[in-house]
Amino acid sequence: MSKPVIQIKNLEKVYEGAVPVHAVNGINLTITEGEFTALKGPSGCGKTTLLNLLGGLDKPTSGSIEIGGVDITTLSENQLIDFRLRNIGFVFQAYNLIPVLSAQENVSFIMLLQDRPKEEREARAQQLLEAVGLKGKEGQRPGQLSGGQQQRVAVARALASKPQFVLADEPTANLDSTSTANLLDIMEKLNKEEGMTFVFATHDDRVIKKARRIISIEDGKVLSDE
Amino acid sequence: MITIAAVMFCVIFAVVLRSFQVGVWEHMVDDIVANNFGYLQVHQKGFWGEQSLDLSMDEAALPVAQWQEVDGVRSVVRRLESFSLVSTGQSNRGSLVLGIEPEFELPGLQLIDQIVSGSVFEPGSDQVVVSEGLAEFLKVGVGDSLLFLSQGYRGASAYGQFMVSGIAKISNPELNKQLVLMPLQTAQWMYNGMGLLTTAVIDIEPTADHKEVKAELLPILGEELELLEWEELFPELIQTIEADMAGGQIFITILYFIISFVLLGTVIMMVSEREREFGILVSIGMRKSKLAVVTVLENLILTLGGAIVGMALVKPVQFYFKYNPIDISGQMKEAIEQFDFEPKLYTTTSFIINLNHGAIVFVIGILVSSYAVWKIMKLEPVKSMRS
Repeated sequence: MSKPVIQIKNLEKVYEGAVPVHAVNGINLTITEGEFTALKGPSGCGKTTLLNLLGGLDKPTSGSIEIGGVDITTLSENQLIDFRLRNIGFVFQAYNLIPVLSAQENVSFIMLLQDRPKEEREARAQQLLEAVGLKGKEGQRPGQLSGGQQQRVAVARALASKPQFVLADEPTANLDSTSTANLLDIMEKLNKEEGMTFVFATHDDRVIKKARRIISIEDGKVLSDE
Repeated sequence: MITIAAVMFCVIFAVVLRSFQVGVWEHMVDDIVANNFGYLQVHQKGFWGEQSLDLSMDEAALPVAQWQEVDGVRSVVRRLESFSLVSTGQSNRGSLVLGIEPEFELPGLQLIDQIVSGSVFEPGSDQVVVSEGLAEFLKVGVGDSLLFLSQGYRGASAYGQFMVSGIAKISNPELNKQLVLMPLQTAQWMYNGMGLLTTAVIDIEPTADHKEVKAELLPILGEELELLEWEELFPELIQTIEADMAGGQIFITILYFIISFVLLGTVIMMVSEREREFGILVSIGMRKSKLAVVTVLENLILTLGGAIVGMALVKPVQFYFKYNPIDISGQMKEAIEQFDFEPKLYTTTSFIINLNHGAIVFVIGILVSSYAVWKIMKLEPVKSMRS
């Protein structure tokens, strides 16, 4: 039986205002190693908020998130940043690459933050870029790459730190069908061959079809878990 | 690029402004002191305060040869100076009379470059050179005669009639309105002071420090004499410079406030443009403190680069206006001349000004980058990535 990677208990996120908004409303979930999971639901249902909470980018109002036995809701800001650096890979809808760095530099930068030796950084960045089908594009900057290629660089960057799991927020939202298919193939391959855990927030049917677990979210609550 | 350019222009602006202020004074001091009065003057004790011919020195008793052996002394210039009523018959004016030997004089009184009409007087002749301003006032020209009436040595009457051999333009406006130059022997004769001098100007080498020269001269000066530095000769000039500099300091402080806001504007713009990038870096695992250090270092390098480029680029401007001063005309010229200042704007080429102002702008640049640190420390990655 696979061991749990993420355990969420009674998670709540309330945005205060004239009318408080319960973006995440008492979610309990367990994600195990090697899962290829999609969080689906309409816009505004709370899936991105949940993903941000899982990634430690946002603080919950209440509840706990245990990752590898560590409750990240109790960590200080710096501890949380260090935790993210070593345990979590991110793929964002808008790619979020550093525009002044080349594809290879974008991938290896995260390893620089981990103080890994230069040879290792360069070798792993090249290996990952080759794995996502970008061999020969290492020296190109994000502005010189297509949307699909940029998202593949983002996937390579997410994997560069050897994280426990990858969180992907609408990774295909800006991609055409061919690029989407390519990207999903790459992520599925990495999931199967390297056992990498992927959690997607999406409402893209193409992604949902590929997922082996589909969690439906509505109004900040889990509606179904298949 | 914007940061470098902003810092560069701020340095250029501050340096140019200060260079003009310091340059005008530097030129004036140089003109008054180096060209006309000298950095050091020897008098009989009490002469400078009383300005009386009775406190003159015996020329033959002065150890001039000994003074000339001191390091840094180029020559000793002999003068007899007093006041006299100068008259044409129709108009008259109290004037400063200088008995000089033009061939041994300081550059401003050698009269070769200063004569605008006529010629320099012959040594020992009954001729005088009148400053341009005084000649205009008295309405005299070359060949006209002037009457002098004054008090001479030990109460003797001093009078004479001398022909104007030339009109000289004296660069110092105050002197240009009242100066009459005559041969030293003629002045000694008129003031009944044959063999007497009121002043021995110690002309020093351009590279010499006048305070060091003074220290070496004092032991061999003689008890009856006093050796005054230019700062003691013209304390009012020092006060005027200090007052003007203090006024300039207020102006430059205001300028630095403006510069601070200009630089702060560039930092705010930089932070705003890069907020998303900062959010990405923090989200993938870069500590905010590390990001802040990198940003400050980046700003430090850009600011230093801008300051260095600014300090270097302004140098030709300083040199140009030192040798090609801006002429002030119209009412402003008249107003400035009323204060006995030359109506020209010179710059100084002293690199200390560039260094000082480059350093100040650099420090301001670093201080305003604390805004970036503040923004980074309170950054929320999710919000920043949406920006």
